[in-house]
Amino acid sequence: MSEERRSVSISGSGRLGGGEYQRVAISGSGRIDGDVTAEELRISGSGRVSGRTEVGQIAISGSGKFGGAVRVDEMRVSGSAKIEGPLDAKEFKSSGSFHAEGDVAAEYFKSSGSFRVGGDVEADIFKASGGFDIDGLLSADKVEIHLGGRCAAREIGGERIHVERQRLGSLSSALLGGLAKVLTGGGVAELRTTQIEGDEIHLESTIADVVRGSRVEIGPGCHIRSVEYAETLKVHDDAVVKERKKS
Amino acid sequence: MDEEKLISKKEVLEKMGISYGQLYRWKRKGLIPEIWFVRRSTFTGQETFFPRDKIIERIERIKAMKDEHPLDDLAELITTQVNAKLRVALAKLERLGWLDDDLLRTCCPADASDEAVSIWQAFVLGVLSRLRRAARDEEIDLVRRTLEGERGAGLLDRVSENGLNLYLLRKRVASGGISAQISLVALTEEGAVFDPEIEVVTTVDLSTVLQRIKLDLARSDEAPSGEAPDGDGNGTPTGEGDAGRESDEREVKR
Repeated sequence: MSEERRSVSISGSGRLGGGEYQRVAISGSGRIDGDVTAEELRISGSGRVSGRTEVGQIAISGSGKFGGAVRVDEMRVSGSAKIEGPLDAKEFKSSGSFHAEGDVAAEYFKSSGSFRVGGDVEADIFKASGGFDIDGLLSADKVEIHLGGRCAAREIGGERIHVERQRLGSLSSALLGGLAKVLTGGGVAELRTTQIEGDEIHLESTIADVVRGSRVEIGPGCHIRSVEYAETLKVHDDAVVKERKKS
Repeated sequence: MDEEKLISKKEVLEKMGISYGQLYRWKRKGLIPEIWFVRRSTFTGQETFFPRDKIIERIERIKAMKDEHPLDDLAELITTQVNAKLRVALAKLERLGWLDDDLLRTCCPADASDEAVSIWQAFVLGVLSRLRRAARDEEIDLVRRTLEGERGAGLLDRVSENGLNLYLLRKRVASGGISAQISLVALTEEGAVFDPEIEVVTTVDLSTVLQRIKLDLARSDEAPSGEAPDGDGNGTPTGEGDAGRESDEREVKR
């Protein structure tokens, strides 16, 4: 391996062997065979890495596919990304769509598009405003969800969990609401999960089996079978809570 | 596995005075092993339970150490990862009552003149010193070879994740007027059952040994003061695992 790391750019169609690079830019269609280490990886066309990816910064505005684990400081997705191995990021932001087949860990996680995760999502801060589907546990100090579509996670746990409906200006809400319904396919903007545990919980439009927490607020549109709370519980008139228990 | 005493998550939070946020955070940071989360369906829905003694001990340790160490470092100190590069001063092992010149020579012949040994060597020393009383020389060697054989297979990680016991066993076999005693070594999770003809010479709780070392390392920057009432100092150095654990707790609580 040479001392000086190479920078490579693929702008037509090309293949590249794995290895260490300074900067890799793919603007046409490119494929990296094997593991790749680089400071920067930009995909604006379509790109695929077949092995492990260890990169400082990843930006995807086209379509990116990763066949192995991805370890990255900062990752931005505005197109689409598919990650077959686990994803470990310091900061992850997506406004497009992505699919991770394994676990996702990040210090800061933000998605305003839609995403699917086959494993757990763990973050210090988790923010989502689109739709998502998490097969495993969603765990973060701070979970902030602005329901912008169908959202689902097997379980949610953390310190502060805040789920709210998308706030729209009152005048345009009827119109945009209708539009959003068309866009989100059926118009269901809700969160479904089996269990939510946290110290401070605020929920809207959430369907859950059990909610456990210290200070719990069940807002409009919720259907919860059982709420167990330690300090306070507020339930909105437009919410259904079958069972309440103070512990 | 035998029915371990379990404690529900809610009870853990109440008893230890911690929040959901802390528990989830510690889990994320790898301070509480995934396998301790036991899910059970109860009449109130899905609930999570933990092995009672383990979780209480672990949380006490985290609470006692979290102010001095960043959470990310704590994981390395008290759980899975063992930093292979760490070295343990011989003086520390002496304080633990683990230092034995004969054992030292068998465990780490090359470094014996050094002031420090690797964490692996300290671990082997710790285990062997607990066997020294009851075991014969060839049995000690058998144990050492068993441990060494598993070293590459991540034994230390497995010990801190699952908790493993080491059993030194003897069995007498007689045939055609000749009788012989054979020694066996087994590494297994708690609660192993052996046939009635087997004599269990010693059981060593390996996670106690490892935690003892790590705890001592974690406290290495502190001045070694206020140790006077430590029962380990004047008690038998080859005490059972439980004694070690008790004094661990006591030191941590301070």
